[in-house]
Amino acid sequence: MLNVLMLGVGQCGNRILDAINKEAFGGSSASKLAKYYLKPKFPSRVETLAVNTAVNDLKELRFTTAKDRLHVPNLHGVGANRNVGKQAFMDNRDMIMGEIEKRGDFDIAFVITSTSGGTGSSFSPLLINELKRQYRNITVITVAVLPFREEGSIYLQNAAFCMRELMEVEAEGIILADNQYMKRFSGDIASAYDKINGMIAQRLLFLVESLDSEMLSVTDLGDFKTVMNGGLRIGTMGFYQAENKTQSIRDAIENSLKPANLLYPANVADDAARAMIIIQGSREHLDVDEITKEVERLSASAGHVFKGIVVKKGRPKVLSVFTLAAAPELEGIYAQAARAMQDEKEKRTRARKQLDDAFAHIEDLEEIY
Amino acid sequence: MRLKLIVCLLLFVLVMSAALAADDDSDDDSGDEVTFKDFTMNLGDRIDVGDYRMELIEIQSVRDGLVVMRVSKSGGALDEQRAFLIDSANNFDGGADSDGVTVTITDIFDEQSVKTRIEYKESLGSARKRASDRPAAPPDRPEISVKKSFDRSQIRVGEEVKVTITLKNTGTGQALGISVEDAPPLPEFTYLAGYPPKIRETLDPGQSDSAVYVMNAVKEGSIHVPAVEVTYTDSKKNAKSNSSDPFNIQISPKSRAELAINLEGPSSIALDGESAVNVSIINIGAASATRITVDGEVKPPQGLAVTGLEKSIFDIQPGAQENYSLHIAGSSPGDYSIMLKAGYDGGDGSRAVESSMKVSVLEREYKYLYLLLTIPIAMVALWMYRRYREYKY
Repeated sequence: MLNVLMLGVGQCGNRILDAINKEAFGGSSASKLAKYYLKPKFPSRVETLAVNTAVNDLKELRFTTAKDRLHVPNLHGVGANRNVGKQAFMDNRDMIMGEIEKRGDFDIAFVITSTSGGTGSSFSPLLINELKRQYRNITVITVAVLPFREEGSIYLQNAAFCMRELMEVEAEGIILADNQYMKRFSGDIASAYDKINGMIAQRLLFLVESLDSEMLSVTDLGDFKTVMNGGLRIGTMGFYQAENKTQSIRDAIENSLKPANLLYPANVADDAARAMIIIQGSREHLDVDEITKEVERLSASAGHVFKGIVVKKGRPKVLSVFTLAAAPELEGIYAQAARAMQDEKEKRTRARKQLDDAFAHIEDLEEIY
Repeated sequence: MRLKLIVCLLLFVLVMSAALAADDDSDDDSGDEVTFKDFTMNLGDRIDVGDYRMELIEIQSVRDGLVVMRVSKSGGALDEQRAFLIDSANNFDGGADSDGVTVTITDIFDEQSVKTRIEYKESLGSARKRASDRPAAPPDRPEISVKKSFDRSQIRVGEEVKVTITLKNTGTGQALGISVEDAPPLPEFTYLAGYPPKIRETLDPGQSDSAVYVMNAVKEGSIHVPAVEVTYTDSKKNAKSNSSDPFNIQISPKSRAELAINLEGPSSIALDGESAVNVSIINIGAASATRITVDGEVKPPQGLAVTGLEKSIFDIQPGAQENYSLHIAGSSPGDYSIMLKAGYDGGDGSRAVESSMKVSVLEREYKYLYLLLTIPIAMVALWMYRRYREYKY
C-alpha cells in the first residue's frame, strides 16, 4: 500500500485538497453533511495537510479535518508577496515539517499549489526541498495551478518566478493545471473553481488508486516517476469516463487525450515526451486489440507509453498522464509576465518622478505655524 | 253473699218440706191411706218410716240399674239386703197395701246416689231420711286423661322426633283394662322404635304412665296428627274412654348445608407482579357442612401461578365461614380465570359448589421506552458533534 502525502499550500492548494477530501466522501455526489455520517475513503493511506498563512482561507474548507489544517502564523496571509512568504516559511519551517513528520513516512507526496498566490508560490519550492531533505526516498510531484492571465501583474510575476523555482528543486515532476484553460467552463466563478478543483482531485485520486492496484497490466510508482522525468518534467493529466457501457475503450482512450479533458492546453501528439495510460473498467470492455492499437498510436508520437489496466466493474475510465517535451503556453506566460513586470516598473518610475516633481515645489520651504 | 242466699233457700226448702210432711201425716192420721214419698239418697243414707228402715248400701251398676239396699224392721222381724232393679217395686211385709212398705228405685243418678220412692200407709207415720253417719266413701270413678306430644315443634325431613303418650288417672277409681290406640301409623313418618306404644293396663287414681316411640320424618308437608284413643273400665267393669286432642304439625324440608365461595382479589396485576386472593367459604345453609375439600384450577394454566388452591376443611357450622388466601404471581400477560370447587357433605349427600374470578396480567408498561429513542439520537448527535468538532476550524 502506498503511503501518500497530499499537501495543499496556499488558498488554491487548500481548496484542491478540500476537493480531494470531498472526493473521498463520494465526490460531486457527496452531500454537504456527508462528513457527519461518512468516513473518507481513500484508495491508499492518504494523509492530507492544508497549509496556509491566511486563517480565513483555512476556515473556508469544508471536508478537511481541523487537525489537517495548519495555520502558519503571519498575520493574515503574505499579501501575494513571495518574499514575505518565504520568510514566513523559514520562520515556521520546523513547525511545518513537524506536522508533516507526525503523519509518518511516505512514498509519494503531492504538493498542490497555485503558482500565482503568495503563500503557495513561496512555500512550495521551499517545502519540496524540505521534503526531499527529510524523506530521502520520497517521490514529490508538484501540482501547480497557473493563474488567469488577466489576474494582474503580481500574480503573473509570482507564477513566473514560482515556476522557475519549482523547476529548480528536486521534485520528480510538475503536473500543470491552467485556470486560464478552464475558463471554458460555464457558470459563475465559484462553480468554475469548484469544477477545476474537482477535476484535479478526481485525477489525483484515480492515479493514486491505480498505482496501488493489482493491475492486469502493471504500472507502478516507478513507471510514474519515469513518465514524470520525461521531457521538461512538466506534464498534465487527462481523464475520461465512458458515457455508457457500449462506448468502446478506444474512444475512451482517445477522449482522455483530447484537450477538453486535459488540465493544461497541450498537444499530446506533438508535445508529449512520455505518457502513461491507465485504463479501468469491466472485463468485457477491456478489448486488448483496441487498447494495444491505441497505445501503439500514442507511442508513435510520445515515444514511450506505459499502460496500466485495472479490471473493475463499471464504465470504462481512462487516465492519461504525460510529460511535455515543449511548453509553448508557458513561454507565453513568461512573456506576458515580463511585460507586466516591465509595465509595473515603468509605472512605478513614472509615479516616483511625479512624486519627486511634486516634492520639488516645497524643496526650499519650511513649515510655518 | 250468693252462698248465703243459696243456704237460705235450701233451709227454706227443708222447712217447707217438713211442713208438707207434717201435713201428710195429719192427713194419714185422718185415714189409713197409702202414701209415698221420694227421697234422694246417697250411699249410707237411711229412711225411717214407722218401724222400717231403708238404707242405701251400694249402687252396683248404673248402666244395669242395680242398686243394693238394706231394709230392716225394728225388733229384728225384718232385716233384708236386696238388689233393687230400677223402676221395679220391692214390697216388704206385703207392701204398702198390707201395712208394709214398698221401695222403688226410680232413678240412679250415679254411683253414689239414687232417687228412691217409699210407699207406705199414713198410719206408719212420716218417712224421714237420715243422712249417713259414715264417712262418705270416695267414689270408684277412674278418669284417664291422655296426651300425645312431640318433642319438637319444628320438624324437618330426616329428623327424628320422639312421640310421648302420657296417660294419667285423674279419677278416684282404679282404671282397668287400659288400652291405647294410636292408629293408623302416619305415612309421613317411619317408625323407628317403641311403636305401638305400650301402657300399663291398670292405673290407680293419681297414677300415670307414658310411652315413647321414635319416628323419622320422611316427607315434608302439613300433617294432621290424630287423637290417641284410650279405653278402660272401672272396677265395676264400666267401660270408659278418652282421647287426646288432635293437632297439626308442619314438616319442613330437610335441613342441609349450603356453601358459598367468595373470591376477592385484584382484577389485574402487573407482569411479574404478585398479589393475594382472599377466599371465604360461607355456610349459608341450615346444616353443618363437613369433609370439605377445595380444589381449583387456572385457565389457561400457563402464565399465572396460583399457590394454595387445594385445601381441606373439617367442617363449617351454619352461618360460619372459613377464610384463607391464595398467592398469585403473573408471568405472562393475558386474562386468566381462577376456578375453585368445594366438595362437601351437606347433610343430604355430597354436594359441590364452584366459584371463579378473573385476573388479568397486564402487559409490561414501557412508560419510559421513548427514552430509548434518545440513546440513538444522542449517539447520532454525539457522533455529529464529534465530526463537527473534527472539522470545525
